[in-house]
Amino acid sequence: MIEKKQSAFTRTAIYVLLIVLTTITLLPLVWMFSASLKLDSEVFTVPIKWLPETFHWENYPKVWEKIDFATFSFNSIKLTVIITIIQVITCSFAAYGFSKCNFRGRDTLFLCYVGTIAIPWQTYMLPQYSLMRTLGGVDTHWGYIALQAFSAFGVFLLRQFYQGIPNELLEAARIDGLSEYGIYARIVLPLAKPALTTLTIFTFVTIWNDFMGPMIYINTESLKTIPLGIRMFLGQYSTSYELIMAASVMSLLPVFALYIPCQRFFVQGVATSGLKG
Amino acid sequence: MANKTIQGTNRKISLNTRNTVVGLSFILPNFIGFALFTLGPVVFSFILSFMKWDGFTEMTFAGLKNFQKIFGDKKFLESLGHTFYFAFFTVLFSMTAALALALLLNRKVKFVNFFRSSIFFPYVASVVAISCVWKAMFMENGGVINSALQMIGFAEDMLPGWIASTKWAMPAVIIVSVWRNMGYFMIIYLAALQDIPTSLYEAAEIDGASKWQQFVRITFPMLTPSHFFVFMMLTINSFKTFDMIFLMTEGGPGTATQLLSMYIYNKAFISWDYGVTSAASMILFLIVATITVLQFRVEKKFNDFM
Amino acid sequence: MKMKRIAAAGLTAVMAASVLTACGGATSSSSGSTGTSSSGSTGTSSSGSTASGEQVTLKVSLWDATSNPADLAAIEAFEAANPDIKIDLIDIPSNDYNTKLNTMLNGGSQLDVFFIKQADSTKSFYDKGQLLDLTDYIAESGVDLSGFNGTADGFAFNGKQYGLPVRTDYYVLYYNKDLFDAKGIAYPSNDMTWTEFEKLAGELSGDGNYGAYMHTWQAMAYNWGIQDGKNTVLSYETGYDFVKPYYEMLLRMQDAGYIQDYGQLKSGNIHYSGAFAQGNVAMMPMGTWFLGTMKSKVESGEAKFNWGVATLPHPDGVEAGYTVGASTPLAINSATKNADAAWRFVEFMTGEEGSAVYAKEGYIPARSDSTILDTVAANEGMPEGLAEALQTKNIVPDRPIADHVGDVDLVLGEQHSMIMLGEATIDDALADLTSQVKDIMEG
Repeated sequence: MIEKKQSAFTRTAIYVLLIVLTTITLLPLVWMFSASLKLDSEVFTVPIKWLPETFHWENYPKVWEKIDFATFSFNSIKLTVIITIIQVITCSFAAYGFSKCNFRGRDTLFLCYVGTIAIPWQTYMLPQYSLMRTLGGVDTHWGYIALQAFSAFGVFLLRQFYQGIPNELLEAARIDGLSEYGIYARIVLPLAKPALTTLTIFTFVTIWNDFMGPMIYINTESLKTIPLGIRMFLGQYSTSYELIMAASVMSLLPVFALYIPCQRFFVQGVATSGLKG
Repeated sequence: MANKTIQGTNRKISLNTRNTVVGLSFILPNFIGFALFTLGPVVFSFILSFMKWDGFTEMTFAGLKNFQKIFGDKKFLESLGHTFYFAFFTVLFSMTAALALALLLNRKVKFVNFFRSSIFFPYVASVVAISCVWKAMFMENGGVINSALQMIGFAEDMLPGWIASTKWAMPAVIIVSVWRNMGYFMIIYLAALQDIPTSLYEAAEIDGASKWQQFVRITFPMLTPSHFFVFMMLTINSFKTFDMIFLMTEGGPGTATQLLSMYIYNKAFISWDYGVTSAASMILFLIVATITVLQFRVEKKFNDFM
Repeated sequence: MKMKRIAAAGLTAVMAASVLTACGGATSSSSGSTGTSSSGSTGTSSSGSTASGEQVTLKVSLWDATSNPADLAAIEAFEAANPDIKIDLIDIPSNDYNTKLNTMLNGGSQLDVFFIKQADSTKSFYDKGQLLDLTDYIAESGVDLSGFNGTADGFAFNGKQYGLPVRTDYYVLYYNKDLFDAKGIAYPSNDMTWTEFEKLAGELSGDGNYGAYMHTWQAMAYNWGIQDGKNTVLSYETGYDFVKPYYEMLLRMQDAGYIQDYGQLKSGNIHYSGAFAQGNVAMMPMGTWFLGTMKSKVESGEAKFNWGVATLPHPDGVEAGYTVGASTPLAINSATKNADAAWRFVEFMTGEEGSAVYAKEGYIPARSDSTILDTVAANEGMPEGLAEALQTKNIVPDRPIADHVGDVDLVLGEQHSMIMLGEATIDDALADLTSQVKDIMEG
């Protein structure tokens, strides 16, 4: 990269800075982890105890027992993966239409997309639910998938990236006789890899952590997801924070497992594409 | 339609039609789902903003009454103000932090992946869990943050009350929000940074430009598309923030952290007044739409200028 | 252009669909409420056929079912007694119960029977036509409403009964016997005023112990203000002067360190059950729903002290035994297709059999008398003298079943935090509250 030889001093300073920043950022995670190993009554004490007196590892199996974590994890993974795939495909398709095809009404239509992003879900939750009930999608996985898979946000995100791809490049391809679909598949898609990864991570995390959606739409125990399971602990009359924290730690693992290999591809994949802006 | 037109314009029209068909074929797979499950309900609620409806019994036409109602409501205006306050600082600080972190981590250091992943972590963690943690950290006496402030020499009576004080609650939720956002946007900036051709820096180096000059003249302007994008995403998200604040402060103390999204939620699920709910949403929509359009304008101008 | 037209057509279709469903819900509800009498009269014959005939599944919604053994036990008992009816329980996290319940009811016949978490919201369900009129069923089955000690009256509108209470919880005073013994102070009596309570708390405070624990709810001031039954949380015309003495008491106790600081409790997400179980709190006014929780906390070893229960302290000039409480009603969705089976469920749960199950699990059913209270107190692990402490003269509903209670509650909560955090004086906060509630009630 850009740096030449750096002095030992700058190097050390950078490391110290990084370590401090990372520690601060991770502090809540550390607290979460330590709380997950405590007794209920030990979780909130003044001053904060970073180390539990005795490590209550049994909190983890307890979570496993109390909520059907295996089923919930399976559901979470299933829904998240399916929705992410559909979203990335349909959004990348639509974004091409919005950024690289010219037709009347395009911008008006796009403004509709952007507009809905700004409207809180609570506003149209009821009509949406009525509609879904008519279609028989309430309390089914396909119903939830149908709700989440066609995100306006994804289209918006990808369109912004596609706009950075120079039109001259596409014109050249058109002159070479490539159809619009060919241009999309052969030119735009490879160039948009980083954008697609951004959307993948964004969608994955959003759906993975989505709580309100499954809460409203899913009733059957065997169809529930992890955030719903976590929320089950948060009952007004039974607050077991150590279990909530244990469940949270557990729910983090799959996302992390996805992120770490993805991250490499993501940042390095961009460097090789070398075209944007 | 095409048959009736004269030969000359025929080609043009068919080209137009073809363009439309091709364009639509790209959009349609997404649009069908979007129109059915999002746009439809949204348009329905747009209509609702001119109606009086409790969600169950018959609705009646209300004209502009709902809008009159919200603009006469002190709480609405207050939450509108809070929303701007929250969004402004969240966007500003998140962008700054994300960019700074991206610059810091865009180099060959050991464990760079570990550092990047750690900074990214807050974005992934479940809101339910992190809001519990932050609440405990913001405790006035004995909380991690105030203990740390005390250690670096703040007098006890100078310590902020954070979420237990009307003045500091908003800064507290902004801090959490920035903490959550910065990792994700850092990644977006990182991706863009790697796209800046190294030759530009090499040339600048030869010209004897300092690191700071390189940043101002090369890095910052080269990141323009990312700035716009990050700004837009952050703006939309901050205007919609609900969960985190609801879990951390419930809009309190008093109404100190009540945002528009919470006002909307309360009107929908406590007052059962869908007309007012929709009217308030329309205002939110107008604000974000205005910002979006302005942003597009500026971006276009900027691109032409470049 | 073409595209626009297609889009417009699509939109219209979608909107028409949603409008239709919305209106459909409304019409079916109105026809439902008028048609009830006829379905009630045919009820005898059809209920006879269901009893012998095919299996019916009832969808019943409930919050935090896993942490509430009594509801599950009662439902199990019902299923055992009625093999032709299966209960499909929809368990919803308590914090989201109202949101989800309302969305589901909006979706028509998703539900057959539902528990109402906040009794005061019953009125809004009624207003929206979502409750089935139970009057004819009650007459036909010969249900004796007097067994509910008046707690069923709140669920009657315009002379018709729309819900029956399952449980009635009310406030009592929990105390830690060990802390009293250590100081050589006599246990709280069943006849104590709030003034005496405050004094006692002072004597018990110190050495890292707190004389009392007051949870962060606004109920900790308002409940005592309305305990005499003269005012409600909607009585804005009084300027809310009836809560003022209790706010003064709370602030005095907070400043003197008799109770934990409100701000700390809030930031720390402190839950009263954990706070009391820690063992450094001498007294805690709390609802009877906590009996079962406390019992299990002792059994699991999380709370390591002897505990007792006394009648809730009362204001000066009010008789002992006046307390504040709330009922949990069961209601039938007006859009249900299984009205008869649903009624059998409601009848069982609110009747003698259901009540007995609740009492056996340590919860106080709405249909209650001294035998029931004895059963509750006789549960293993319940403290001595519980049956006497549970005796009541009058249970004032914590919130009236009326319009706008939800909105008012929100404002009460906002001003409560302002007072308790010292961000506003009591007078200013109550004045602000009065004007806001006035706007809500008159607007």
